[in-house]
Amino acid sequence: MEFLGYERPDGSAGIRNYVVVISSGRCANEMAATIADAVPGAVPVIHTHVCVRFKEDNEKALRVLSGIGSSPNVAAAIVVGVGCENPSPATIAGEIAKSKKPVEVFTIMESNGFQSFMDQGLTTARRMVAEASKMQRKPFPLSHLTLAVKCGGSSAISGIAGNAATGMVLDRLIAEGGTAIFSETTEVIGADHLIVKRAANEEVARKFREMVDRQEATIKASGEDIRGTQPTRGNIAEGLTTIEDKSLGAMAKSGTSPLQGVLEYAEKPKGKGLYFMDGTAMTSELISSEAAAGAHIHIYNIGGGISSSFRCPPGWMGEIPFIPQIAVVSRRSKPYDSQENDFFDIYADTVIEGTESVDEVADRFFNEIIAVASGKLTKREMRKGYREPIVLYTTGPIL
Amino acid sequence: MKKRAMRISPDDNTATALNDIEAGESISLVSKSGPVGEMSAKQAVPFGHKLAVVDIKKGERILKYGEVIGLATQQINKGDYVHTHNVASALLPGAKEAK
Repeated sequence: MEFLGYERPDGSAGIRNYVVVISSGRCANEMAATIADAVPGAVPVIHTHVCVRFKEDNEKALRVLSGIGSSPNVAAAIVVGVGCENPSPATIAGEIAKSKKPVEVFTIMESNGFQSFMDQGLTTARRMVAEASKMQRKPFPLSHLTLAVKCGGSSAISGIAGNAATGMVLDRLIAEGGTAIFSETTEVIGADHLIVKRAANEEVARKFREMVDRQEATIKASGEDIRGTQPTRGNIAEGLTTIEDKSLGAMAKSGTSPLQGVLEYAEKPKGKGLYFMDGTAMTSELISSEAAAGAHIHIYNIGGGISSSFRCPPGWMGEIPFIPQIAVVSRRSKPYDSQENDFFDIYADTVIEGTESVDEVADRFFNEIIAVASGKLTKREMRKGYREPIVLYTTGPIL
Repeated sequence: MKKRAMRISPDDNTATALNDIEAGESISLVSKSGPVGEMSAKQAVPFGHKLAVVDIKKGERILKYGEVIGLATQQINKGDYVHTHNVASALLPGAKEAK
């Protein structure tokens, strides 16, 4: 099976064709946004990283920002900064250049003042957008695609509706030679032994165990024991009996394919198939790292309830502007949400209503993925306006 | 339409209620692909909660998604409501599976 994508110099295929203007630090956010907003076809990447952080967090920021610039959905990148950021704008641009796509870097420190800096940025953005606009989509096998998944507002129903259908979709893409990434380290505690069972080899199993142990140790160091707190009283009221029950429902979205590798936050997979990435359950922090790892599409599963009733729950605010988000809902909870609200791309509540089987939802869902990969806009892409900076998953304090 | 419960994996000894099921009600059992049979619920099972689709002995594994979600803390009969009153996590210290 094929989709229509944009060919990139490193051999990857993009499903969107934006020029990104990346702020190299919070001080440069306004400049990046102003340049991008003045040029149709350009989008800004603004975020909360500041220079006074520990080395490990600066390295994470470099992986996220350069990874985002290297995304196959990006035609060309501009990195802007004051010049004193850490990581430096030149370092970020240098990493993006490894993807062989056009990349330029502008800093106030190396310009003849602010206005000259802005003019250079705008002129370059317009030139890059003009170049990108000449590109035509062409057919690529589905093996070029990478999907990333995340769930929120989960209940016992997510595991048998939205997450179940998502798992089947991931299995199908992987059977076509594609790649999928799932994460949320804290959410797999309790079902970690089951993921270990799916590891493709002993090395993957060992690395996965280490990653989960590291996360549990961090949680314990703060005086909490996650195993004793799960499932929550709310979960039990909704029908989740044990921590295994809860974790398995969340894991259902990863399907049944063997686990090929374990990634650090914002690390790119080295091969095809299913990957687990270390990451948080907070959406903005997670989707920025999944985008940096090369995900083309972000699947966001909402169980239902109040978080499906308004346009911008946290899962939808921290979007990466060039990564289409396919929003899936497992249960419409009247009167909060109705089809008229139309926030979702995939309504999986038909499984609950009895009008469709999980198989049938997965068929429809898989076709939607191919359509979106070939250019169809998602519901989220059709809403302009309010945006938030991307939040990075950091471990150390702001110094 | 008849009320339904989903047996997610054919190996599961539980099914998840897709409606609020009342005690004594005859329900349709479905898989991921469609209907697979009928059974009677002995006890009331709220939407999203589980019922046993076979008899389960004390100490036996409770299966959902084809995986172990806990162990039975007492005898559970086919059609009974399955939740925290008769199941405990298999990961708890001292959890012991009956062989």
